[in-house]
Amino acid sequence: MTHINAVSFTILVVLFAVVTLVGFAAVRWRRAEDVLHLNEWGLGGRGFGSFITWFLLGGDLYTAYTFIAVPALVYGTGAAGFFALSYTIMVYPIVFVFLPRLWSVARVHGYITPADFIRGRYGSRGLALAVAFTGILAVMPYIALQLVGIQAVLTVMGIGGSATTGFVHDLPLIIAFLILAGYTFVSGLRAPALIAFIKDTLVYVMIIVAIIYIPIRVGGWGHIFSVADTHLKTTNPKTGKPNGSLILEPAGMWAYSTLALGSALALFMYPHTITGVFAAKRRNVIRRNVAALPVYSLVLGLIALLGYMALAAPGVPAEVKAHDANAQLAVPFLFQRIFPSWFAGVGFAAIVIGALVPAAIMAIAAANLFARNVYKEYLRPNASDAEQTRASQWASLVVKLGALLFVLFVKQTYAIQFQLLGGIWIVQTFPAIVAGLYTRWFHRWALVIGWAVAMVFGTIAAYRLPAPGEPGTHFGASADTLPIINHTIYIGLTGLVINLVIAVVLTFVFRVVKLPGGADETRPEHYVADPEPASAEPVPVAAGAADVA
Amino acid sequence: MTHSGPPRRHTGAWVLVTILLLVAVLGTLIVPIYARSSPKLGSFPFFYWYQLLWVPVTALLTTICYLITTRVSRPARHGGGGEAAAAPLGGQPRGGQPLGGPGEAS
Repeated sequence: MTHINAVSFTILVVLFAVVTLVGFAAVRWRRAEDVLHLNEWGLGGRGFGSFITWFLLGGDLYTAYTFIAVPALVYGTGAAGFFALSYTIMVYPIVFVFLPRLWSVARVHGYITPADFIRGRYGSRGLALAVAFTGILAVMPYIALQLVGIQAVLTVMGIGGSATTGFVHDLPLIIAFLILAGYTFVSGLRAPALIAFIKDTLVYVMIIVAIIYIPIRVGGWGHIFSVADTHLKTTNPKTGKPNGSLILEPAGMWAYSTLALGSALALFMYPHTITGVFAAKRRNVIRRNVAALPVYSLVLGLIALLGYMALAAPGVPAEVKAHDANAQLAVPFLFQRIFPSWFAGVGFAAIVIGALVPAAIMAIAAANLFARNVYKEYLRPNASDAEQTRASQWASLVVKLGALLFVLFVKQTYAIQFQLLGGIWIVQTFPAIVAGLYTRWFHRWALVIGWAVAMVFGTIAAYRLPAPGEPGTHFGASADTLPIINHTIYIGLTGLVINLVIAVVLTFVFRVVKLPGGADETRPEHYVADPEPASAEPVPVAAGAADVA
Repeated sequence: MTHSGPPRRHTGAWVLVTILLLVAVLGTLIVPIYARSSPKLGSFPFFYWYQLLWVPVTALLTTICYLITTRVSRPARHGGGGEAAAAPLGGQPRGGQPLGGPGEAS
């Protein structure tokens, strides 16, 4: 059992209290007249400029995935974990192409969720429901990953997780979770947008200090890489193979690049990232941000190297081993062992707050999907804006509860699998959304069927994969050998190909049999429009465009 | 249509943007390029410093693309707001036609 360090603990609690105050006070920030409109609660008034958007998207994209899951994978397997850097490098050139079109059409029609766009574009409630369902589902393991990150810090600090037993063991996590739920409920997207400033400041300070200070303390980069190399070459008794490798082996290359590409295609399909995009004030803000966001990728790359530093830091591997060999604890233990306790507290706070910000945005985005595309669409068609906002507020609580259950009851060797599982699902909305930004060629039902088959395939394929060296477990990996080409491929990408093939073939078929294609309320010019920010109302660009719905 | 000129005139710019973005993506997608340990930079094996270096390279490439796209689309924007941006496309027929590649997005 770990002794609680009073200094680290106090710093963490104080910073957490500051963030909580800011979170609740955020409701007054850039205050709107009509608070009970989803544009306000769910999109912060759609008025964020380049600067705030950069922090908001940074807070949104770089999460416990970055701080805990990626270094854990690097700690455990070496080079293979670096696919995350490749992923965050290639994501921006990819989304540079289509994201401005999505922003424009959403602004013209007042779309709040990706499913709103699908409904308007394809005139299909079914396809919109499929997209909404996928978004809510995929975000849950991603929020769960944030909670795993918080739990890792609490465990290392000796105030929760595996350090204690019974109900008390999850109490700190539940308290953090309740506070998060509270200010998300009250302030909506304004809370994470404002807290993102604090989060990023902490993260940048933490990583700059870590990247300079830790190598000096543990004996330089040369030593770090050589210790890592030795460790990775050691045979893992559970699998009978080496732990990993310092340089990627040819056998791992296909998995590496398909995991990176699949994750990159998936990232801006997630409802929470699209929420961050829709909250921007002007079209230009999007591309400017896409060009500036890679700064965070550099941070991700450096944080990934913390995995190696943890291997080289005296005492850290032993601590990790003593705690059920939970690689997620590598970075928190590294901080605890190497930093003075006050700065360890700052680092812990950076991780915890870095997990809370995206968790809030994810919950808001999933809740918006529920309010707009399930509640209003199917349950209460006449729901007012205020009623939708209320529904969304409550749904945000339910989504977070789902994520909490995920963490409390699912054991994971590598938390990164949570995110990769979410990616397998969410990337299946790529054809409908991205193709839809350019063409109405695809038939709505072809897209629905392609999506459904790929979702079932992806879920079963992922379920069948055990964690390395732990036969009988499920959802333990995300890349599987593809029979014909005989390479290991990310299941999300295999699913996407199946999805696309079905969608293309069935579109031909449905066009031949003349199945009705559904009405399209968008026009070509809506995809390049850049209306001035208007308060809560969608901006009518073309007369008669809005009355189709 | 008087406005059908601008998009065609900028084809070269869009080809350039496409190439730059493609380079940025392929730089880390093609793993065999960098899955090696030498040449080292200090103690860093090639595998690591190449990918870290690729971050600023990608940022630079996308920034160039951003500057090109804002320059290309500026003439259509001078009236401000959606109507001006919409004008060049206003007369096109609706329907199942592809709406164009990454090209005309401003």
